[in-house]
Amino acid sequence: MAVDTSAAETTHRVELETAFLDGRHRARRRLFLLRAGLNLCGVALFLLAWESVPWLFPSINPVLFPTPSLVFATFWPMLTSGEIPVNIAVSVRRAATGFLLATVLGIAAGVFTARSRLTEYLTEPLLHGFRSVPVIALVPLSVLWFGIGEGAKVALVATGAFFPIWIATFIGVRDVNLVYLRSAACLGAGPLATMFLVVLPAALPLILAGLRQSMAISLIVLVAAELSGATSGVAYMMSMGHQLFRVDIMFIGLLLLGTLGFAFDRLFVWLTRRLFPWYVN
Amino acid sequence: MASLIEVEGVSQIFETREGKANWALWQVSLEIEAGEFVCLIGPSGCGKTTLLHLIAGFMKPSEGSVRFAGAPVGEPSPDRGVVFQEYALFGWMTARQNVEFGLRMRGMGRAERREKAREALARVGLERALERYPHELSGGMRQRVAVARALVNEPRVLLMDEPFAAVDAITRTTLQDDLVRLWQQTGVSVVFVTHNVDEAAFLAQRVVVMRPHPGSIKRSMNIDLPYPRQRSSAEFAQLYAHLGEALGE
Repeated sequence: MAVDTSAAETTHRVELETAFLDGRHRARRRLFLLRAGLNLCGVALFLLAWESVPWLFPSINPVLFPTPSLVFATFWPMLTSGEIPVNIAVSVRRAATGFLLATVLGIAAGVFTARSRLTEYLTEPLLHGFRSVPVIALVPLSVLWFGIGEGAKVALVATGAFFPIWIATFIGVRDVNLVYLRSAACLGAGPLATMFLVVLPAALPLILAGLRQSMAISLIVLVAAELSGATSGVAYMMSMGHQLFRVDIMFIGLLLLGTLGFAFDRLFVWLTRRLFPWYVN
Repeated sequence: MASLIEVEGVSQIFETREGKANWALWQVSLEIEAGEFVCLIGPSGCGKTTLLHLIAGFMKPSEGSVRFAGAPVGEPSPDRGVVFQEYALFGWMTARQNVEFGLRMRGMGRAERREKAREALARVGLERALERYPHELSGGMRQRVAVARALVNEPRVLLMDEPFAAVDAITRTTLQDDLVRLWQQTGVSVVFVTHNVDEAAFLAQRVVVMRPHPGSIKRSMNIDLPYPRQRSSAEFAQLYAHLGEALGE
């Protein structure tokens, strides 16, 4: 009798659990679909409102404010002809090279300045002085000195991206929790092992924040550099659109830049999760 | 034969936040034998953690000498394992990698250290948490990993700085039971800092009672109650009261 009761109880419990978990699963799925649907609706509403501007405000010149359909009509041939993909590739290569260069140099500089009083005090005023100068202000000088070659643009991007990475690494490495350093020491770690296995991983959250900020800056500097002297690239395409009085091409540039910035940020977050599973935001 | 740890006339001076000189320790002498379990107890500011850090080698005494196994204490070494209060596990390494760290620094091969780490974690009851990161473990489990990480290097002394202060009371008593068991199994010396009378009474063969301003040793009391100690026994209650009195004097 007692066995029967407990068997029935177990069955009942399993039923309840299954129903509960199914319900939770369905609710999560509904929420996901709702979110995706509303996301799409938002974009569609925006495009619809934009498309109806000439109907609502007939006085607006469609050449100065082209509708999405006009922009798309320009976009599609430029995409299939390869003009847009080439310009994207050129811009991405410049931004990525500059950013990677800044990553290597910025982390190295951050580590060296944080680990020694001598280098810290020696570079302190220079670091804070130089990083206060907006890199965009260097663009005309760079064109004057180095012309409009690839190297000059990559160097500009690298310069702009370098400082946030340096600062973030410097603070992260300097302020590593003393308990980590003591743990490493009493487990027999030497200076090199401590740096690579303890200090840098401990500083990683700050370094990643610096890298993310630098990615956004890379894009800004890239646009500034391409606008003021280039023969290819997304921003160059926009400046051509400007000179040809083609606002639709300028709009395409804006959309591409927004998409690129967004895509790189997502990629960064995804890579962070993959590479550092222990790092929970 | 000399004691394992010899602290002789040690004083330690600090600068306070107001810019004044403050003696965290004043002329402290203490000897700890191999295999002994000693608790340092006292109110905050009595210098018990400073004394532990001096033995570990995290700082040099302003005056006096600290010797370990006959030689002056230099840099921190795996001979003197340290378990900190909390947040000392490397968050970017799994439990197994944390425990392997010291072995890796010694240059031990991958397979061998993996096996040793597995054994060490099994000894603290965590064989199922090998590949978990510290943030996935409870406070008590984290401190078990920390104990395993120190013990796997086969230290001659385990220096513990209020290691169970941040865990809940139920977990704390199981951790204390396990520590006594590990101490008996390995024969390691333990220097255990606490401000908890019950903990000292449960764990120690000798309790060193300290007082602040300046940090110094008030009394050293031997406890000859056999292990495992029963908290419900009359002897334990008496010991608890006795220690409490010594602390409050």
